[in-house]
Amino acid sequence: MIENITGDLRVYMHFLGMLIRSQAQYKVNVAVDIGASFAITSLEFVAVLIYFGKIPSMLGWNIGEVAMLYAVMSISFGLAEMFGAGIDAFSDTIRLGEFDRILLRPVGPFTQVVGSDFRLRRLGRITQGCMTFVIALHLLPGMHWTAAKVVALAIGIGSGSILFLSVLILGATLCFWTVETTELINILTYGGRDMLSYPLTIYHQVMQRFFLFVVPLAFGSFVPTCYLLGKPLPFGLPGEMVFAAPVIALVFALCTRVIWQFGVRHYQSTGS
Amino acid sequence: MLRFYLEVARTAFRRQLIYRWANLAGLLTNIFFGVIFSYVIIALFHARPTVAGYDVRDTLRYTWLVQAMVMVVLTFGWYDLMLTIRSGAVISDLSKPCDFYWYWFSREFGRNIYYLFYRGIPTYLAGMLLFGFGIPVDWRFWLAFLVSLILGASIGIAYRVLYNAVAFWFLEARAFGSLFVVVALFFTGSYVPIPFFPQWLLAIIQWLPFNGLINVPAEILLGKISENALLFELGRQMLWVIIMTLVVRVIIAVAAHRLVVQGG
Repeated sequence: MIENITGDLRVYMHFLGMLIRSQAQYKVNVAVDIGASFAITSLEFVAVLIYFGKIPSMLGWNIGEVAMLYAVMSISFGLAEMFGAGIDAFSDTIRLGEFDRILLRPVGPFTQVVGSDFRLRRLGRITQGCMTFVIALHLLPGMHWTAAKVVALAIGIGSGSILFLSVLILGATLCFWTVETTELINILTYGGRDMLSYPLTIYHQVMQRFFLFVVPLAFGSFVPTCYLLGKPLPFGLPGEMVFAAPVIALVFALCTRVIWQFGVRHYQSTGS
Repeated sequence: MLRFYLEVARTAFRRQLIYRWANLAGLLTNIFFGVIFSYVIIALFHARPTVAGYDVRDTLRYTWLVQAMVMVVLTFGWYDLMLTIRSGAVISDLSKPCDFYWYWFSREFGRNIYYLFYRGIPTYLAGMLLFGFGIPVDWRFWLAFLVSLILGASIGIAYRVLYNAVAFWFLEARAFGSLFVVVALFFTGSYVPIPFFPQWLLAIIQWLPFNGLINVPAEILLGKISENALLFELGRQMLWVIIMTLVVRVIIAVAAHRLVVQGG
């Protein structure tokens, strides 16, 4: 088991090296792509700034606090979509019957799918996240940092990336049954991202519970940010819950893995 | 010839009908985003009753109108023309005994009408049911809205053909494409309603072509544009339709003149 994992990890690192080197061959292209992605994601944040230009606060959250939440979200989502880029094309892999070939190779199918792509261009969103973080710090001059908060921030970003990656994989797993990409998973990924860029408490109770207890994406953004800002969590959850985020993320990832393996076992090749 | 273009539009409409499940999934996505934005707006309006003459109901209507119109006016991720340029199939479209631009225009117009009925109207109705903000009822606004929507859709088509035509020079131009679309969506109110923008920026935005895509039709239907200003706004949209169409046609003519298609 352990041997398998280290072996797959080694293969994955090898894939990663190849993908980065091949993209680095087209320096201008990569630079333009990163620039475009940075511009697009920055415009999204400018939209938030425009709203707050007219209205001072959002149910007790001021612009600096929302910016902090937004920054944590952008960085963790950016990491997830950078590493998870290979999952995007999974429906093509299934539709064209390519998955047969993947199953024949002596490396785990999961490693091959995730390792099939890695997009440097998604550094654009991560850069925007880091800049938004700096803006948030600037807007929150009274913020008091402790070692625990720094740990909470790191934990939050890490768990957030794992959670989003898991959701991407769940979406891909659906392809085993539906063959075509279902746009529905966009609701969870892009919808979840946009939704959680704002304080969770503004939404309907059902939506809050869903993103805390069913698909716990809120543990990667809202929960850590509340800890940083000293804000209370909904449903009487203690702020220290943030330190449980990695466990929650890993449990969710494990569930995803089980579903994925179930999908692989039930894979019937497509012909055409 | 008009019959031919109508037939092209009709075929495009019917082709779209096949993707029933994809459309349903897209519809749910539109609705979900509408719901998110609605909660954001409701939360923001707790702090102030009106912003720039918009109360919470106006803003919700505006937001759902945007969600309803976005697929009609400016389809995200439309690279059909770019792909024909890359594959070389563009040459057969260029050799057809019809005008290349009007051919694509009719195709896209057919799709727009499909999206109006199967995406736009259901989206708005869903928002109406979920948040109970109703619908403007003045028939004069609806008449002007329809004219404005057609003009907006025409600007949208020209704009899409424009950023796809980049592929005549750079074969892989998707990054450009998404940047083009996001900039247009931003300046037509799909991120923040245009009336919420700061005054100095507003003065510029009103003269950009993007304003006519979604913001002008939405403001007209909400009755935010006075009768005196109405003709002026429609005129400004018309002006952009003409300018954009001419520019795109010139670009296509230049590109077709120097086009070399790879074989294979």
